[in-house]
Amino acid sequence: MPPPVTTARAVAYALSRVTPRHGARQLSTTRSAQGKRLAAAPTARLQFQQHKPLLQRRSYKTVEEAKSRYRSGPFSWKAGLLFVITAAGLVWYFQSEKERMKRKRIAEATKGVGRPKVGGPFELIDQNGNKVTDKDLQGRYSLVYFGFTHCPDICPDELDKMARMFDLVEEQRPGTLLPVFVTCDPARDGPKELKEYLVEFHPKFIGLTGTYEQIKDMCKAYRVYFSTPSAVKPGQDYLVDHSIYFYLMDPEGDFVEALGRQHSPDQAAKIILDHMKDWKGSLKTS
Amino acid sequence: MGLFGLFSSSEEDKRATEIRTGAVAPTRAERQKCWAARDAYFACLDANGIMDALKEDKKAAQSCGRESAGFEKDCAAQWVTYFKKWRVQDIQKKARLKELEAQGAHKMDLQTDFKTQR
Repeated sequence: MPPPVTTARAVAYALSRVTPRHGARQLSTTRSAQGKRLAAAPTARLQFQQHKPLLQRRSYKTVEEAKSRYRSGPFSWKAGLLFVITAAGLVWYFQSEKERMKRKRIAEATKGVGRPKVGGPFELIDQNGNKVTDKDLQGRYSLVYFGFTHCPDICPDELDKMARMFDLVEEQRPGTLLPVFVTCDPARDGPKELKEYLVEFHPKFIGLTGTYEQIKDMCKAYRVYFSTPSAVKPGQDYLVDHSIYFYLMDPEGDFVEALGRQHSPDQAAKIILDHMKDWKGSLKTS
Repeated sequence: MGLFGLFSSSEEDKRATEIRTGAVAPTRAERQKCWAARDAYFACLDANGIMDALKEDKKAAQSCGRESAGFEKDCAAQWVTYFKKWRVQDIQKKARLKELEAQGAHKMDLQTDFKTQR
């Protein structure tokens, strides 16, 4: 026979295993009964109060009609239409916001500290012999292209493209874009040569030239690669290697985006117009 | 041919010579004339299976002498060399692209804006 202490402990253990469960059941029963009693009272009162209005609001005539209404629930064609319109509106809004943010990122990639700086101050002369500086381009967007008049095939193609691009932008926002052509071959492309050359592409093109040093600085500021063959004798013909991008600059003279050969004139014009739409500052128009 | 005709033809010759030597830049019309002469010459090279007109100059002169003369008459000498080199590169580029496509490569448009990559 085990010692009495152990027996007592065993009994207590047995009790503890049985009693709580039993007690809990009792408790829960009591609580639910109380709950029922508590909940039942106000409901009864409410039902009593709302009895009449509920009857009045009833608009169906037959039980079948009521059932069919119940089955369709809150979904009606009006709700469906509202849902579709809201969804379409939200999709449109988020997509246009997303694209705007994308453009903003591109445009602001060159603003602020620690950003690659493309463009900058310059002083050159145009095809009429007038001095042009970076200040003259400010207040409008400008599209800057580097080339040379003796260019065999790419520059003429690209300049024709630039003319179409410019016309497309002019149709929408006249006077907001300056088409600028900068020569990489200042030794041969003086104001006279530029004037004769550019007028065949677009009468509004601005041609810029200067001394070799000035052009070298300009190309460096715009990160344009160009190479005139070394040791050219006077009167000797040569070709110039150069980068072939259109540089879109904002009204503050900061670089926005490079447009390349893969953009059609329509695509490029759209990109330019979209950036103009985003521009918050002032924009000259004439 | 009168005196005026002689004069104007010498003017034309002078202009053509200037273009050939690169003393002046050609106008749009002159460029187009040059490109037409180039295309005719290249068509002849194609027909005769000549790829590099600079390396195979003897064969090119033999088969396409007439087109070559037209090409050299209407274009700057620098342009003639440039276009001949360009043609070789263009043929090689097209062949390489064809080869890559045969290997299952996808053609893609180059993206050149300075988008931040994430």
